[in-house]
Amino acid sequence: MSENIIELKNLSFRYKDQKEGKALSDVNLTIDKGEFVLVMGPSGAGKSTMAKCLNGLVPRFNRGEYEGETIVNGNIAKDTNVSTMAKEIGLVFQDFESQLFSTNTKLEIAFGPENFQVPRDEIHKRILEMFELVDLKGMENRQPSTLSGGEKQRLAIGSVLSTYPKIVCMDEPTTDLDPLGKIGIFNIASKLHADEDFTLIIIEHETEESLNADRLILMQEGKILRDGKPRDVLREIEVMDNLGIMSLQIPKYFKEKFGVEKADLPLTPEEGVEQFTALGCAFDEQQYKQLLDADAKREESYGEELIHVEGLEHVYSNGNKALNGMDFSVRDGEFVAILGHNGSGKTTMVKHFNGLLTPTAGKVTVKGFDTTSTSIFEIGKHVGYVFQNPDHQIFSDTVYEEIAFSPKIRGCSEEEIDIRVKEALASVGMSGFEEEDPFSMTKGQRQRIAVASVLSARPEVIILDEPTTGLDYKEQKQMMDLVKKLNQQGHTIIMITHTMWVVSEYAHKVAVIKDGKMMMYGKTRDVFSKDEELAKSFLKTPHIVNMSNRLGQTILSVDELKRCTKEG
Amino acid sequence: MDMFLYLDNDTFLHRLDPRTKMLVMLASFVVALMFYSLPTLLGLTLVIVLYGMAGKTLGNLKRIRFILLMIALFSVVLWSLTYGGPTKILGPISTEGILYGIVIGMKFDIMIISGMIFLSSTKVEEISLGLVKLRLPYRGAFAFATAIRMVPMIVATSFTIAQAQKSRGLDLDSGNLLERAKKYVPLLIPTIISVIRGTNVFAMALESKGFGYSEDRTNYLQISIKKGDYAILFLALIVITVSTYFKFVVI
Amino acid sequence: MKEVFSMWKDTKMVVLVALSAGIYAAVLIPFKGFVLIPGITEFRPASALPVVLGLLFGPAGAWGAAIGNLIGDFFGSLGIGSSFGFVGNFLFAYVPYKLWRNLGMVNKDDMEPNLKSSKQIIAYVVVAILGSAACGLFIGWGLELLGMVPFAALASIITLNNSIPSIILGIPLLIVLYPRIKKWDLLWTDILPEEDVPAITAKTRTGAIAMTLLVLVGLIGGLAAAVGGGQALLYSGFASTAGNQMVVIIAGIGSIGVLIAGWMQ
Repeated sequence: MSENIIELKNLSFRYKDQKEGKALSDVNLTIDKGEFVLVMGPSGAGKSTMAKCLNGLVPRFNRGEYEGETIVNGNIAKDTNVSTMAKEIGLVFQDFESQLFSTNTKLEIAFGPENFQVPRDEIHKRILEMFELVDLKGMENRQPSTLSGGEKQRLAIGSVLSTYPKIVCMDEPTTDLDPLGKIGIFNIASKLHADEDFTLIIIEHETEESLNADRLILMQEGKILRDGKPRDVLREIEVMDNLGIMSLQIPKYFKEKFGVEKADLPLTPEEGVEQFTALGCAFDEQQYKQLLDADAKREESYGEELIHVEGLEHVYSNGNKALNGMDFSVRDGEFVAILGHNGSGKTTMVKHFNGLLTPTAGKVTVKGFDTTSTSIFEIGKHVGYVFQNPDHQIFSDTVYEEIAFSPKIRGCSEEEIDIRVKEALASVGMSGFEEEDPFSMTKGQRQRIAVASVLSARPEVIILDEPTTGLDYKEQKQMMDLVKKLNQQGHTIIMITHTMWVVSEYAHKVAVIKDGKMMMYGKTRDVFSKDEELAKSFLKTPHIVNMSNRLGQTILSVDELKRCTKEG
Repeated sequence: MDMFLYLDNDTFLHRLDPRTKMLVMLASFVVALMFYSLPTLLGLTLVIVLYGMAGKTLGNLKRIRFILLMIALFSVVLWSLTYGGPTKILGPISTEGILYGIVIGMKFDIMIISGMIFLSSTKVEEISLGLVKLRLPYRGAFAFATAIRMVPMIVATSFTIAQAQKSRGLDLDSGNLLERAKKYVPLLIPTIISVIRGTNVFAMALESKGFGYSEDRTNYLQISIKKGDYAILFLALIVITVSTYFKFVVI
Repeated sequence: MKEVFSMWKDTKMVVLVALSAGIYAAVLIPFKGFVLIPGITEFRPASALPVVLGLLFGPAGAWGAAIGNLIGDFFGSLGIGSSFGFVGNFLFAYVPYKLWRNLGMVNKDDMEPNLKSSKQIIAYVVVAILGSAACGLFIGWGLELLGMVPFAALASIITLNNSIPSIILGIPLLIVLYPRIKKWDLLWTDILPEEDVPAITAKTRTGAIAMTLLVLVGLIGGLAAAVGGGQALLYSGFASTAGNQMVVIIAGIGSIGVLIAGWMQ
């Protein structure tokens, strides 16, 4: 017999300064003890607000109009102190940097129990238990700041679990992590789920990982749109497409190509292969050859060599050898994706391309200029670099000023600056925003402003460091369509990313970096045909690629597969 | 840049209670401030250096040798030029001036060395717990410890920001003073904004872990005054008493 | 003054103390090696921060400036002077936010520091200079009292060293920071419950006027006494030894008086 542990009754909330609508409107939801619930939805759907209602942060911390009731294990959340609710429910946030408070991993785990006056011996016992549970054994007495992103997030989870809450709610815990880091979090989730008394709620973007949950909830505009078993909800391709979250590729393909009934849609690559064979389908070899020809033709169309790297090594001042002999070359018009987990050396590598770093050994030339003897200021005319976090470069209070910064500092005339700003804004599709305040925009828009502020220097090459991290699916698509357009207009693109579907659908070429070495390099189709080799670098191809690989050919998108299918 | 001063060794000094080490530091300040005699200050320097050696902490002095040297030099140059005094050597420079400069420089350097030994042998958590045991409210100690922890993270962020702006053409090393000053705006604003942006999540995460649940809390870390501490405390008190006696009664 | 202590109940304010202190220290430290050398010491970008932090975060900014300066001292100048540096830097942020509210230079219905009117800009310059001077006065007095550094040199150098960046860098900084901080609900007047934000009354007005006068009397009077006693301003002031009784008394009245006037508000 199951029992309710969470109950939301007619819950509505509107933030104090919210202009229109409500963050939550009339939500009714009950969650049983022991359930593993996944919540999905585009940004602004009310997911985080709902999470914050559970431990009373809304309305005690974020003020606004609150109606209805949130009952968590018998406690009325809005009438209870947040720190008291913490005994019932633990909250883990996306931003792991802001939820670690100690200079030592053990003390981090001890922090919560210390607040609840747990006896010292008991705290010691819990510390040992937590290091085991979140896979941080051997990391006792480390400084949290020396851990990787994934380890930090696992430590944050451990520090919440150590107070022994009965429920844990994680708000996008994997968004800022690399593939390896994500795997670590999903492992903890399945360990926690194995405990029948433990209730787990996770807000996630990763559709492909959602099959393990008991229940999947889709949210939109403060309301619950769908609530059911993941296998059922995930088959509602249209609902997900309309909502702006990424639908699973396998069912999407079968629905759009064959109009398969909802109940019979396969979900995973394995199921897809089975159904593909059952339907008697095969690859259309002629169509597939056209794809390969198009790839080859594109390869021939690239222009002169812009960046040349030879035997590149880099040792940081603390003795860390980040790059260990690398050869690489980028030609005019290419679109290269760089993959590899954090710490693999990929950022170190691309920082050599605009002179931010200079080689310890080996040589890097940009348009024939040796980067050791050319200033960043000079190289910057040819190579633009968009950093991962747009907030690390935006400082002006109008969009115009922000974008004008680079041409201004390069001594352009007023008219020239004006022309360049307009041109850059038009390129990122944000004309008319000149006088807006960049800080009041969404992250997706700020990311575009950051791109525009680099475009205004008119570089031939644009480097982008994880341009889609922290964006929802719709924003990711918009961002990538913009990058694709820039590439078609003649810019050479070098992009660091962790998002595999982005690579398969947009990049011409892929480089995989591990331990400071180039493990794989080639056309996207060639690299993505090697599932096993990619797995060694903790990379997994998107479902549709994986399915086609199992069938013997490498297909990069749902549309490509639709074209190359010969129906039986 | 390594921003952590603490040196992780297991020595007699490291095992002392943070409160003991604070008192020793204070005693060295008091004595350094009281005396203007070169032999006394030299004796004090010797004692402090030995104390620091006991904790293998002197390695950290290398990191601030530039500052120590500048203070000593600056002090000698300044006072020898301006002190006056009867025994002129060259122009306004007098023997008394040089000596006075050396004495003042030593006073500063002694205090800085003593402070560095304390920080090299005491963890941030120990300092903050020591302060709590000395009746500083927990929240104050928490803010202090958190600020120390944040410094290297903020410096790292500002390095990234400097790289981002350099990539856009910012050149920090040219222009006159006023122009250069203005160039810090593109660095300071993103640094402050990206740090302050985390405030709300930080505060939410704190409360979500029970911060403020009760006035009292357990301390997992333990500090206590042991035999060694009593011995050192006793010595420090004797030094202070004897110094005061000589300063105000004998002289 | 009450809010200086009651703010510790609020978690957000505690976090702001820590972050303000961290930022201040992080900007101070890279310039540590240069502080004492004549010719390079004219500019310390970190000094732009306390006034801005004080106006935005109120008491949290003041504690942040005090703690941040102390942490900065860890990296090369921790000594007995650090205790005066602690109070001095507290005043560097505290005096501006108190005078901003209580001196009557800003309209009551336009209290938030957006620097949109010339009236606000003028008020900013005035409180920034007085905050810088309060800091210079207190530290200068303290080290004179200990016989370490002559008042005339130290107080005048610190006052100038503080004022210039707080105005040149502080104004553009505050103009850009204010709207974000406002948007994130992090202005101290938005964070603290209404009953903890001191009302502006005749008493606080008197306190503000007293504070202004005491800063000026303490600094100018102290400098005059010091110069009269043979000290000279700025770097040439090192020509004399510290410990002039008249200076200690006048600057002391100013320093202690500023703290009492602060208590009234």
